[in-house]
Amino acid sequence: MSILISQNTKVLVQGMTGKEGAKGAKAMSDYGTSVLCGVTPGKGGQEVDGKPVYNSVGEAMTVFPDINTSVIYVPPFAAKAAILEAIENNISLINVFVERIPIADTAYCLAAAKEKGIRILGPSSLGCVVPGVARLGVMGGPQVQEIFTPGSIGVISRSGGMSNELSWQLTKQGLGQSTTVHVGGDLLMGTTYADLLRLFEADEQTKAVMIYGEHGGSYEFEIVDLIQNKEYTKPLAIYIGGKFVSAFPEGMNIGHAGAIVERGKGAAEKEAALHSVGVRIAQRYEDLVTLVQ
Amino acid sequence: MNLYEFEGKQLFITHGIVTPCSVVVRRGDDVTTAYASLGVVDVVVKAQVLSGKRGKNNGIRFCATLEEVQSAVDDLFSLQIRDQYVAAVLIEEKLQIAREHYLSITYNTTTKQPMVVYSTKGGMDIEEVEENEIRKTNIEILNPSVPVDIPYVQELWKCFFSEDARVVEINPLIQTADGRFIAADAKVALDDDAFYRHPQWEQYEPRTMLGRLPTEREIEAKKIDEGEAYYRGTAGKYIELDGDIAMILNGGGASIANMDALIQAGLSPANYTEYSGNPPREKVYQLAKVVLSKPGIKGLWMCGNVANFTNVKETFLGIIDALDEIKPTYPIVVRRDGPESAEGFALLEECAQRNHLNIKMFKKDVGMSETAGVLAQMIQS
Repeated sequence: MSILISQNTKVLVQGMTGKEGAKGAKAMSDYGTSVLCGVTPGKGGQEVDGKPVYNSVGEAMTVFPDINTSVIYVPPFAAKAAILEAIENNISLINVFVERIPIADTAYCLAAAKEKGIRILGPSSLGCVVPGVARLGVMGGPQVQEIFTPGSIGVISRSGGMSNELSWQLTKQGLGQSTTVHVGGDLLMGTTYADLLRLFEADEQTKAVMIYGEHGGSYEFEIVDLIQNKEYTKPLAIYIGGKFVSAFPEGMNIGHAGAIVERGKGAAEKEAALHSVGVRIAQRYEDLVTLVQ
Repeated sequence: MNLYEFEGKQLFITHGIVTPCSVVVRRGDDVTTAYASLGVVDVVVKAQVLSGKRGKNNGIRFCATLEEVQSAVDDLFSLQIRDQYVAAVLIEEKLQIAREHYLSITYNTTTKQPMVVYSTKGGMDIEEVEENEIRKTNIEILNPSVPVDIPYVQELWKCFFSEDARVVEINPLIQTADGRFIAADAKVALDDDAFYRHPQWEQYEPRTMLGRLPTEREIEAKKIDEGEAYYRGTAGKYIELDGDIAMILNGGGASIANMDALIQAGLSPANYTEYSGNPPREKVYQLAKVVLSKPGIKGLWMCGNVANFTNVKETFLGIIDALDEIKPTYPIVVRRDGPESAEGFALLEECAQRNHLNIKMFKKDVGMSETAGVLAQMIQS
């Protein structure tokens, strides 16, 4: 089994005629994911990599009513309209690749998605990989076959690059991944660690989970509540990056937008709270692979 | 971008929030004229810095004569407040305070919606106010309903939303003896990702929170991500630090972990820099030039994760352009992998040979942190 995506995932690519969109569509198809079509307003009738492009999501849905996932590659100023269009058309999983979306637009889209029970993965998310089955987005790049192998460890990362690094380390150790998910680095996350841990708890293939976290935000504290309520019971190891950042003044923004140094929510406070409910804390991200075994 | 108090207050005024009569003084400005322009005797003289807690750190002075004002201004310009550079001084009428309230709006990461925080116990010690004396109200951004019984909350919400702020805070929100409300301070953080719909933001002066003016290199680097193609990859991040190891890192996440790793290896970073999101060659070249222009560099660490979609060859070409120009003699360690990395490394190898670089290169079979240790050894030997 897996979480988020499966053989039944049918993908629409919004912004497929752009450079990154075309790359994303090809990356998914090459890995065996079913990409049905694309949408770019004003470019209906074109083809990208043999897949038809439509002017609107509604038009695409009429031709391909099976679409259940949209991956969005548009410039940040067009992101809100694109996400809302996917929501209006009831696409149940929306992976937002777009970086640098204004936070107010993100908050608006997340609220609109929540009203309809639609899951948004992102913004700024490179997607996810279920090894040997499917991938959303470009995670793994051209080396995806080398980096990912089917296995029993769930991987959650705030960082796209670290999703790859950690999966690669698991593969080197012969452990493999059940699903690797990049939640994105923005302050507001459509799908949180806690959301994914609930899914991993229900997934039989997953025996343990590792998380690459960052300072800033309160998402790690949701994990503490989840474990206390016994909604997540499998082994969990976490690394929280950004110890050097504590030398910077409050409110200074480096790395991802979400990693704003907030008083009382720094790496040290998060580690203490997580440790108290039995989560294994990695001092170096390389230690996650050992801790999760 | 964090605004100075006087900039925040200008936004407040636009949205109908009353602020005290005030005048901004820069280094070298005539204090006599400025003070006289207010037409009041009792004034507050406030250092303009980007961090809070000014009051407790001697950044706010009460004055009643021109001599006092002049000496306060001179003194504030000679200080750093909590390691922050004093960019300007604000001279304001002193208010007749009856009560001090607190009011702010920011994003709550649990609900992922804006939240109003209000307390009638405002002032300097807001952190110590009991939870039950703080009122928190979530605002549904789809259908905003803003409380009606909090002074200025409608105006502040308009300011927050229409100005694309991430944080707006009034502390203290003063209630005067005659019952009027006046915003005596302003803390505003604007959402840098929304700048494309606020061209007027360009008028704000360069700033940094590192207790000094932004360095030339920082200002130069920031320009790389400006203009039409601002969202096509990020290559404008450069924070100048005290160490001597030039850093060119990749990925918001990996770069933070690798800053920790370099320090754990006993080295000291000359800068924090990362590029990510598949920036074009030209952007990477400009960034590398900025990073390598710092005097006194003893080593260069170019370290990145296995890239998902950033093209290693294209971005390395930008680095190679800079190395061909600068031809550094100090040790260089590179660790990277991802799309077209074989081509990228081959080109870098050729660059190393023609420039006789002291360089070691690693791909994904060697961990990122490990290569920080390699650089440390090369520098020692």
